[in-house]
Amino acid sequence: MALKIIESCVNCWACEPLCPNQAIYEAKPHFLIDAKKCTECEGEFADAQCASICPIEGAILDALDEALNPPGSLTGIPPERMAEAMAELQAH
Amino acid sequence: MELKVLGQAEPEAPKGGCSAGSCGSTDDQLSHLPEDIREKVHNHPCYSEEAHHYFARMHVAVAPACNIQCHYCNRKYDCANESRPGVVSELLTPDQAVKKTMAVAANIPQMTVLGIAGPGDPLANPERTFATFRALSEQAPDIKLCVSTNGLALPASVDELAKHNIDHVTITINCVDPEVGAKIYPWIFWNNRRIKGKKGAKILIEQQQKGLEMLVERGILVKVNSVMIPGVNDEHLKEVSRIVKQKGAFLHNVMPLIAEAEHGTFYGVMGQRGPKSSELQALQDDCAGDMNMMRHCRQCRADAVGLLGEDRGAEFTMDKIEDMEIDYTAAMEKRAQVHAAIEQELAAKQAKPQAPALVPLESLGGGSKPRPVLMAVATTGGGVINQHFGHAREFLVYEASAEGVRFIGHRKVDLYCSGGDTCGDGESVLGGIINTLEGCEAVLCAKIGYEPWEMLEEAGIQPNGEHAMEPIEDAVMAVYSEMLEMGKLDAKTDDQETQATA
Repeated sequence: MALKIIESCVNCWACEPLCPNQAIYEAKPHFLIDAKKCTECEGEFADAQCASICPIEGAILDALDEALNPPGSLTGIPPERMAEAMAELQAH
Repeated sequence: MELKVLGQAEPEAPKGGCSAGSCGSTDDQLSHLPEDIREKVHNHPCYSEEAHHYFARMHVAVAPACNIQCHYCNRKYDCANESRPGVVSELLTPDQAVKKTMAVAANIPQMTVLGIAGPGDPLANPERTFATFRALSEQAPDIKLCVSTNGLALPASVDELAKHNIDHVTITINCVDPEVGAKIYPWIFWNNRRIKGKKGAKILIEQQQKGLEMLVERGILVKVNSVMIPGVNDEHLKEVSRIVKQKGAFLHNVMPLIAEAEHGTFYGVMGQRGPKSSELQALQDDCAGDMNMMRHCRQCRADAVGLLGEDRGAEFTMDKIEDMEIDYTAAMEKRAQVHAAIEQELAAKQAKPQAPALVPLESLGGGSKPRPVLMAVATTGGGVINQHFGHAREFLVYEASAEGVRFIGHRKVDLYCSGGDTCGDGESVLGGIINTLEGCEAVLCAKIGYEPWEMLEEAGIQPNGEHAMEPIEDAVMAVYSEMLEMGKLDAKTDDQETQATA
């Protein structure tokens, strides 16, 4: 049972110092979680610390590959609106 | 085609700085402050409007993490409002930051201030931030240190800040009401949890206010930055200004929201607009009260280097610094000399009586006051009109009135003429510049081409290249006097209508 960081991570460093198990480490192209050390903060904190400060929706997944911060949950931007805006920008 | 500029053979303008008074106003912007505070800020480019023409500052980007989310910030590109470093910014370790600071301070002896402003929140990265301060207060004791924060972790950091001889702190305070706060901050990270909405905003506000009070108690100067978000906190910022002044903040800096869709921020994507220059100016005037507003802020990047409005960051990337050989002792001596020379120049300026710019106005005024006029000025610094219209990336806006000349702010524009192939886009860029100069009735520059001249005139903005290399305030007042003589200032006030018909 471990969390993982995927490619949408922007290497902002917010999670790294918070991990009670030092499971998060700086890596290229993005930070990674050492699955052997990660406990999902079980027994230490009510919420997984990395996922509680991560500003990027979808960057941290649980053991079932589900996003702990799904699209729209952090920025408040409805996903369809974001897709619309990005499509508009790319058309330019 | 270039129009001939009259007065080009004028003798060289005084080196650096405006000729009379501060660039901020005919009155010294800091004159109302107690002596001990003046002493702390007189050579700080971000706090003293006058100092920013002479003294340089730099930021070191050692603080990547952030503990709150703002709707005007997208962490993918760093903060859109308070810095714009983007993905190319070089994140530094404290050791690298110290090395870079020493290298810059040796090469730019005008440097007085080292700040940490992100790209996240410095106090959300206390170890990296304080390691940098600790080393610098030992190795470069003549450099002032300052820090900019969202305030969430501030109360916990105040004592540590006080230890490192930091006498300036900037707190970004956008609201004092959690209802408003919930529209700006979707969440904060507090006591190991993410807290959303009004509850999170309430905690943030409490911490900011507590931090402000604690800093003031310890005699640390506090500047408050606020981002003006039309329809969200614009009216509310007057209340913010009143409260922070009451609690002892010494300067309030109201900045315009930057919300381009391509930044991917909540406000950008959701179509929240930024304020117009005239709206920003009106709010700054409303907030002014008994405390001066900061109007020369350039919303610089978290890794900016040099004078405000210029960025010499590219000269000091880590690989370039590695190759530099620096004699620290010699550099500090050089700085002391350069700073002393600037101080002398400033003192000489203050001792000089003001130019008698107002005399002709009084003699022509006929009892009623002429209306104030906004003018835009193209300058590369030094307090003189010395830039080609087409080369300007920003215009400084001044207000001329019967009371004198006062600095209103700067307005950024896209470069109209970048030469060669790109000139094809000139037309549309020029349209943008004209929009940006909304409200201005004249634009003063060193030179201007025929086409922009015509378009500006059509838009009701009079181009003027007659005051090239002259001190800004004198030139603005001269143009104002001319307008007065030509009867251009009569139209808009009631009592002058009567005067005109008399």
